[in-house]
Amino acid sequence: MGLTMRISSAKRAAAALSAMALVGSLSACGGDDGKSSDSSKPLEVWSRSAPDPAKTYEAILAAFTQKTGIKVDYQGVIEFDTQLQARASSKDLPDVWINDAGLLGSYQSQGYVTKVEKGDIAGSDQITDETWAQNQGLDGATYGVPFSRQSFATVVRSDWRKKLGLPVPKTWDELAALANAFATKDPDGNGKADTYGMVVPGSSKRGYIGWWASSYIWQAGGDIVEKSGDTKYKSVINSPQTKTALEWVRKQFCTPGNVVPGSLNLTTSDTPFFGEGTAGIYLTGPYTFSGYDKAPGKDKYEVIPMPKGPVGTTTLAEGENIYFGAGSDKTAEQKALAEFLISPDAQKIGMAPDGAAQPVVRLPVNKTLDAGAVRNDPRWKLVQDEYTANSKAFVWSINFQPIRQALGEGINKMMSSCSSDLDAGLKSLDQAINAELKSQDLAE
Amino acid sequence: MTSPINTLWERAGQAVKPRPAGHAVKPRSGAAAARRPPAVLRGSSWLPWMFLAPALLFAAVFKFIPMVEGIRMSLYKVQPFLGNEWVGLQNYATVLTDQRFLDALGHTLVLGVGQTVGALVVGFGLALLLEGQARSLWVLRTAVFLPVVTAVAVIGEVWRILYFPTDAGFVNQILATFGLGPFSFLSSPDSALGSVMAVGIWSGAPYDMVIILAGLAGIDRTLYEAAAVDGVNRRQRLRHIVLPGLRPALTVVLTLAAIRGLRIFTEVYVLTGGGPAGSTEVWMTRVYSLGFERNDLGVASAASMLLLFVTALLTIAVRLITRRREA
Repeated sequence: MGLTMRISSAKRAAAALSAMALVGSLSACGGDDGKSSDSSKPLEVWSRSAPDPAKTYEAILAAFTQKTGIKVDYQGVIEFDTQLQARASSKDLPDVWINDAGLLGSYQSQGYVTKVEKGDIAGSDQITDETWAQNQGLDGATYGVPFSRQSFATVVRSDWRKKLGLPVPKTWDELAALANAFATKDPDGNGKADTYGMVVPGSSKRGYIGWWASSYIWQAGGDIVEKSGDTKYKSVINSPQTKTALEWVRKQFCTPGNVVPGSLNLTTSDTPFFGEGTAGIYLTGPYTFSGYDKAPGKDKYEVIPMPKGPVGTTTLAEGENIYFGAGSDKTAEQKALAEFLISPDAQKIGMAPDGAAQPVVRLPVNKTLDAGAVRNDPRWKLVQDEYTANSKAFVWSINFQPIRQALGEGINKMMSSCSSDLDAGLKSLDQAINAELKSQDLAE
Repeated sequence: MTSPINTLWERAGQAVKPRPAGHAVKPRSGAAAARRPPAVLRGSSWLPWMFLAPALLFAAVFKFIPMVEGIRMSLYKVQPFLGNEWVGLQNYATVLTDQRFLDALGHTLVLGVGQTVGALVVGFGLALLLEGQARSLWVLRTAVFLPVVTAVAVIGEVWRILYFPTDAGFVNQILATFGLGPFSFLSSPDSALGSVMAVGIWSGAPYDMVIILAGLAGIDRTLYEAAAVDGVNRRQRLRHIVLPGLRPALTVVLTLAAIRGLRIFTEVYVLTGGGPAGSTEVWMTRVYSLGFERNDLGVASAASMLLLFVTALLTIAVRLITRRREA
């Protein structure tokens, strides 16, 4: 009997212990309410970066730690939106992240980011008031610190163009003719019809095709969303000008070879054609230069001024901001990092002037720096000139992401058929954008 | 004289004989009974739970808690930093009245039925061809099974390259030798869904094949012999012996394939991302784009819950039908 008793109490103890372990491990999962309240923890920093640009960020942040002694836990995240949202739903956002300036309204409307007092940031006067104004949310407060700006640029295979004896395209017609020549006149001289004109990330995923097409819409005099009154917005996509632009774009899609076949399913990460030497024209961000210098090769392509559309040469402007995550209590460290990131030193490292790394600062926000001079590269000078003189951004202060999504889905649909009714397509796109504005309480 | 076999029989009989009354468990005294530990901790009753605990813990953390959380989120407008807003069943109404969701449902059903039937027919054919013991068959079966163990995302990337919609594309080159094509495959709204389905059949058929092979191995060989004696032809043998013998295997294959078909995501996401013109958008890609591209987690959760409900319903229905048949 005594033995049985001892065994059963031992068993009970074991059971109690295992139950405690179970509860303990559960509460370990759920108990951490995510506030990065432990001051010994490093500052958590994210950026939407593939491994190559992430290396550049690592170099900047190493310089920051060396200068300030503040430890940083950095991650370059590829599926950024998904990952950030997962962190948001557990109320544990990174302390700082660097991502598209165009997401400012999305982040603000969801309460992901905290306000920035421009005056509190040392060195804020080295950023132009114009650039600061872009970071204004709908409520008039400033969200995020500007980090980098850029405009899109058209890259062209100069060796192909010269071989075919064609001029640098200055108009849409010349651009289309060049695309067609690249597709039909065997510019690589291998005797096969395996080259194409334009690379287009034409997928509706994340609204890619809307991103790409926006420059052409503006060049034709069209627009997407317009302010109406002080705080309201309305869709202006359904216009004859937009239709002109989309007709031209569709003509490229429907002329075999002018656009890489199958482009309607492709995102930017699925479009290696320019680098692989199968396509010769690409309207893209200047961050791709460093990759294209390796393949197809620096001497084989050129960056050209925007070919003129029916109305102008406007090109899409974008940028990256430094966002301060809500729920973080490392406000001093957040501020210190932002101050460092906008300093000339950090911006220079980010610009990767030696061309070896991928630049994460495309055009510096710090007005004491000049992109063309720092890099000693006329192509960057061109990007800077286009950005200053001839660029236009999406509306950053509103939650534009769903509108870009609708834009991408609408244009993708219109491009998928060479005979569909563009008027009907534009009308339904107009309705979709207005419905989105209404759900954001921004419609008239 | 008893034969060894008889001895065995006797021993076996002994073993099942009831024990004499004297060996029965003695009733405990009243005091001892009062001190007995509660039922859960007594003897071996909690031991299985100990062994189950790690698995249960994982299931709770990674399945049950997220599921309950999903149900909760489907009833709110989810905004973690501004406070969730109770909207009741409105998210469900949004899903059920959204034309895009209804289109996606249509595509999902077409894909589900097409892939299930296609993979079943191809898998059945493969199983009949590759049944047997020879070593060459073993190698062939392994080769045929490869698509199943390849990551779906990789399959998607590879097929996207194979499907390149010009003469230069691999599939088009093959078809061109027969004087066909070039086909646009994924790049045209008319052929995209069919092309996705073909990839699904290609990667799903070998899985069905393995289950059917196991089913074929379970069919009593004497039935074939008896049928041969009766002089049945190949078609009759298939119709009256093989197919009825495979019924349990087919049930498994159909249930698994239907569930797999409904929650199809990766293939579509990698191959087309739902495009072109939304022609391959399925339930889960719509959920994904609402949840992660439009940041509407409430509606996305509601749509996921509807899918869970339909899947559960379908599984129960298949089980009920097969149980009735087997009874």
